[in-house]
Amino acid sequence: MADETTELRTRLHLSLPAFSREGMLANAKVRVALCILLPILVLTAFAPLLPLQAPLETNLRAMMQPPSVEHPFGTDRMGRDVLARTLEGVKVSLLVGFSVAAIALVAGMFLGTLAGFFGGIADRVIMTVVDIFLAFPSLLLAIGLVAIVGTGLVPVIAAIAMADVPRFIRLQRSQVLSLRARPFIDAARTVRASQGWMMTRHIIPNTVAPMLVAASIASANAILVEASLSFLGLGIMPPEPSLGNIIRDGQTYLQQAWWISTLPGVVILMIAFSLHFLSDGVREELDPRASK
Amino acid sequence: MLDYSLKKFAQLFVTVFGVVTLVFFTLRMIPGDAASAMAGETMSGEALGALREQMGLNEPLGRQYFDYLQSLITLDFGHTITTRIPVAELMAKALPVTLSIALLTILLTVLISIPLGTVAAYMAHKGRTRLDNLLTSFAMIVDLMPSFWTALVFLLLFSLTLGWFPASGSVSLDDPAAFLLRIALPVVVLSVTQIATMARITRTAVLEILSEDYVRTARAMGWSEFRVLFRHALKNAALPIVTVIGLSFGNLLNGTVIVEFIFTIPGIGNLLITGINSRDYQLVQTLIVFYALLFVTINFATDLVYRALDPRVSF
Repeated sequence: MADETTELRTRLHLSLPAFSREGMLANAKVRVALCILLPILVLTAFAPLLPLQAPLETNLRAMMQPPSVEHPFGTDRMGRDVLARTLEGVKVSLLVGFSVAAIALVAGMFLGTLAGFFGGIADRVIMTVVDIFLAFPSLLLAIGLVAIVGTGLVPVIAAIAMADVPRFIRLQRSQVLSLRARPFIDAARTVRASQGWMMTRHIIPNTVAPMLVAASIASANAILVEASLSFLGLGIMPPEPSLGNIIRDGQTYLQQAWWISTLPGVVILMIAFSLHFLSDGVREELDPRASK
Repeated sequence: MLDYSLKKFAQLFVTVFGVVTLVFFTLRMIPGDAASAMAGETMSGEALGALREQMGLNEPLGRQYFDYLQSLITLDFGHTITTRIPVAELMAKALPVTLSIALLTILLTVLISIPLGTVAAYMAHKGRTRLDNLLTSFAMIVDLMPSFWTALVFLLLFSLTLGWFPASGSVSLDDPAAFLLRIALPVVVLSVTQIATMARITRTAVLEILSEDYVRTARAMGWSEFRVLFRHALKNAALPIVTVIGLSFGNLLNGTVIVEFIFTIPGIGNLLITGINSRDYQLVQTLIVFYALLFVTINFATDLVYRALDPRVSF
C-alpha cells in the first residue's frame, strides 16, 4: 500500500510531503488551521452525543436564555438550543463548501485543460462563455440563479458552483498554456509522445497543486456565500438550520438576545479563517518558491 | 492604444450580448413558465392567461427575444407585475442611493487604507515587523468576516447600544444630513472589509517600490523619509492600487445588497431582494442585467485606464 502510494506520487510528479513532523505538520499555518478546524469537525460529528437539546426541539419555557452551562450559546425565541443548531448548520456549511470545491475543481480542470491544450474553436467558445459568467458579481449571480431554480441545499450548491467554475476554468487554462510552452513538453513531443500522453502525464499532474489551493479557498468562500444567501432568505430555509438563517432569525431580537446572531457568526469566521490558513500553509509546502 | 480599445470594446459587446441572452433564456427555462411561477397558487386560469398575454409569453420564442432586445435598446424595462410601476422609475429612485453608498465607501476606504498600507510597508522595509504582522493578520480576519454578520455586530454596538446612528427611518436624498447619517453605518461596514484588502495591496505595492534603486537615490539626495515614502514610493505604487480599486467594485456591489437589506435602505439591492421575494421576474431580470453591465463597464474602464497610465504595457 505504502509502495503503491509512493509510486503514484512519483508518477503524478506531485511529491506531496507526508503529513508528518517534517512535512505539512511542520508548517505553523497548517498547525494553527488544524487546531481550529479539527475541534469543530469533531464537535459537529459527535453533536448527537453531546448533552444538548436536539436542534429542532423547542422549549417554550426556556425562550431566549443567555449562554449558560446547559446552553453554551443560549437559546432562541422558540427555546431551541443555539449551539445544537449551530453545529447542525456547520454540517450544512461544510457540505456546501466541499461540494462546491469538488464541482469547481473537476469541471474547471476538464474544461480549462480542453480550452488551454487544444485551443482553437473549443478555446474560443469556452472562454466566451466564461467571460459572460464572470460579468456577474459572484454573489449576485448566485442570487439570480437561486431566484430561478429555487431555494434549498442542492440549488444553493449548484448556484454557488456555477459562479466558481468559470474562475477555475480560467486558472486551469492559464496554467496549461504556460506549461505547454515549457521545454519538457517540447522534449515529449520530440520523442513522439501522443497528445493524450502529454496531457495526462505531463500537463495535468503539474496543475494539480495550485488547483487544490484554489479549491480550499473556494470552499471557504462558498461557505460565506451560502451563509449570505440563507441570511437573505434565499438559501437553506428554516426550520432546517444553517449558519446564515440562524443569524437571520436572531436579527429581530438583536437587542434582547445578542447571542443568537453573533455567536454563529464567530463560528463561520473561524471556519473560513482556518480554511484560508490551511490553503496558505499547503501552498507554502507545495511550492518551494513561495515565501514562508 | 486605439486598436486595443476597439478590440476590448468588441469583447465587451460580445460579453454584454451574451449576458442579456443568457438571462433571457435562463428565465424562459423556469419549469412551467415565468407567469405561472409568478402567479403561484393565487391566480385562476383566466387571470393567468391574461398575465401570460401581457408578458408576451404567447409569442414565439424568437419574437419574444427580438422584442426583449429592442426594449432594452430603447431603455423600456417594462412594468413591475405586482404594483404596475415602470421598472425604470423604481431604478431611477433607488440607484442614487446605492451609488452614494458605493462611492462613499470607496472614498473612506482610500482615505484610510492607503496611508495604513504605506506605513506598514515602511515598517516592514525597516525590519520593524510588529505593526506589519498585526496589520496582516488583522486584514486576513476582517477580510473573512461575513459582511452581514459584521453589519449586525455594528448595528448592535453603534445603533442599538450606543445610539450613535439611527437604525431605521426614511431614506431620502432631499434631506442630505439625515441621509448621510442613515447610510453612515452601512458605509463603515462595507469599508471595513475593503480597507483590509486595499491596505494589503498598498503594502505589497509600496514594499516592492521601496527596494528600487530610485528610492535609494531619493534618500541619498537628502529628501525626508516622509517625502520619499509618499511622493516617490506611493506615486509609483499607485497603478496597482488604482487597478484593485476598480476590480474590487464587484465585491462592493455584492456588499451593497447585504447592507441595504440589513439597514432597510431602499437601494437597488433591496429592490432586487423584494423582486425575488414577490417573484417579479420583470424587475429581477432588469436588475441582474444592470448589475452585470455596471460591473463589466467598470472592469473595462479600469483596464483601459491601467493601460493608458502604464508606459511599460505594450499593445
